[in-house]
Amino acid sequence: MTAPDDVDLDRVWTNVAAEIWRREPSRAERTATRVLRSPGLARALLTTPSLLLPWLVASVVVLTVGALAQAGAGEPLVWVIAPAVAAVGIAYAYGPGIDPAWELSCSMAVPDRMVLLTRAVAVFTVNALLGLAASGAAAATLGGRASADTAQLTFAWLLPMTAVCALTLAVAVAVRSASAGAGAGVAAWVILVLARSASVTPSAPGAPAGTLTAAITDPALYLPYAAVAACCVAAVIYATRPQRGIQ
Amino acid sequence: MNIELSDLTRKFGRTTAVDRVTLDAEPGVLGLLGPNGAGKTSLLRMLATVLPPSSGTLRLLGRDPGAPAARKEIRRRLGYLPQNLGYYPSFTVVEFVEYFALLKEVPPHMVPKAVAAAVEKVDLGPKAKAKLRTLSGGMLRRVGIAQAIVNEPELLLFDEPTAGLDPEQRVAFRALIRGLGQTATVVVSTHLVEDVGAACTEVALMSDGRIVFRGTPAELTARGVGHGVGDAPLERGYTAVLAAARSAS
Repeated sequence: MTAPDDVDLDRVWTNVAAEIWRREPSRAERTATRVLRSPGLARALLTTPSLLLPWLVASVVVLTVGALAQAGAGEPLVWVIAPAVAAVGIAYAYGPGIDPAWELSCSMAVPDRMVLLTRAVAVFTVNALLGLAASGAAAATLGGRASADTAQLTFAWLLPMTAVCALTLAVAVAVRSASAGAGAGVAAWVILVLARSASVTPSAPGAPAGTLTAAITDPALYLPYAAVAACCVAAVIYATRPQRGIQ
Repeated sequence: MNIELSDLTRKFGRTTAVDRVTLDAEPGVLGLLGPNGAGKTSLLRMLATVLPPSSGTLRLLGRDPGAPAARKEIRRRLGYLPQNLGYYPSFTVVEFVEYFALLKEVPPHMVPKAVAAAVEKVDLGPKAKAKLRTLSGGMLRRVGIAQAIVNEPELLLFDEPTAGLDPEQRVAFRALIRGLGQTATVVVSTHLVEDVGAACTEVALMSDGRIVFRGTPAELTARGVGHGVGDAPLERGYTAVLAAARSAS
């Protein structure tokens, strides 16, 4: 049996294949498409490897262990490790060296800058929410001992986290290396925490706001954090600016 | 003209990868030949709007890619296969091609048919649902070609497209780009002289960042008569032109 001459079998088969291979977007992808107004950005956000399960699992595990340790030993670990976890996540949301298809992505109509921004915002938001949950859970176990401090600390690390994440992203973009960005962000945070803890006297025994949290609780640092964050965001914007004309 | 280059130069520090290249191209298949380090990949990356030039002028599809709005429009109509195709191992063939169709802003309702057509054109239908990590090097190359053509581009840039393809697949690929060259400008950078002879309507030969020959494959072949070394007439033309360029510089 043969097809009539006026039937294009290739076209028919392509239509059949399109129906068979069609993949319905998940509810999350449909929502992201509506929010971002771009199916490409939504797919980049939800399916690229840097945002897949291993990263999410790692963040949850680290913060959960921190919360448990904090509840058990009274050491304010969540508040100290949350900025570092977020910074590493931000660094590995960046493309070159991590995203295998980055070169290809740079030739696409959806700008690579938008992909970077979307990923960074998503990682920051997820880490902030995870950190708040872990911080709140840990604070609840300490609340009776130092409620004022714990209530303050539950949110206080968001500002240094923003600064450390911005620094990490700026370094990653500048040297085009996610590992260098992660290293710079974590190193800067560790040095700051240790330096501030060495420079203050511990508070009362058993209080959650021990010396380790000096880098978070010291109001004198809030303005520098904001300044660092602003400068680093400006550096990222400059480094990823659309190339106008000849460089 | 789909490609218009004038004195295009790209420097990396003190190294000049592309040196005052002037070139234009209309629909057809342009083969970009040259030895390693001749500047083919840098030139192709500039044409793909991935790498900005250091100096000179570049117009693609009648637009200046230096302007963001024009660059976006160019990229919608561009297909690019880089030399080293990065891929997501956990994606299937269809997911990978679909992802780049979306990033190229193919209208969402047209994506399934565009993906199916591209996958079928590279003869990967039986592997459409296979994870990329399970494919051979040649199949991955064909996946790369599929993502490049999924938006039916007017400007197609292939960097070493036949690397890893077996002879039968190479013959099929040549037929594919001859067909694409009927309506689009296809630039194929390759080491393989026989690909150029079989598929290209024009040839540009690069050496030390410069274009040292521009003509048809027959004209390049003619340069090798009585000169050059190689097993095939086109290879003799290639080596003769290269030798002349090197002795002149």
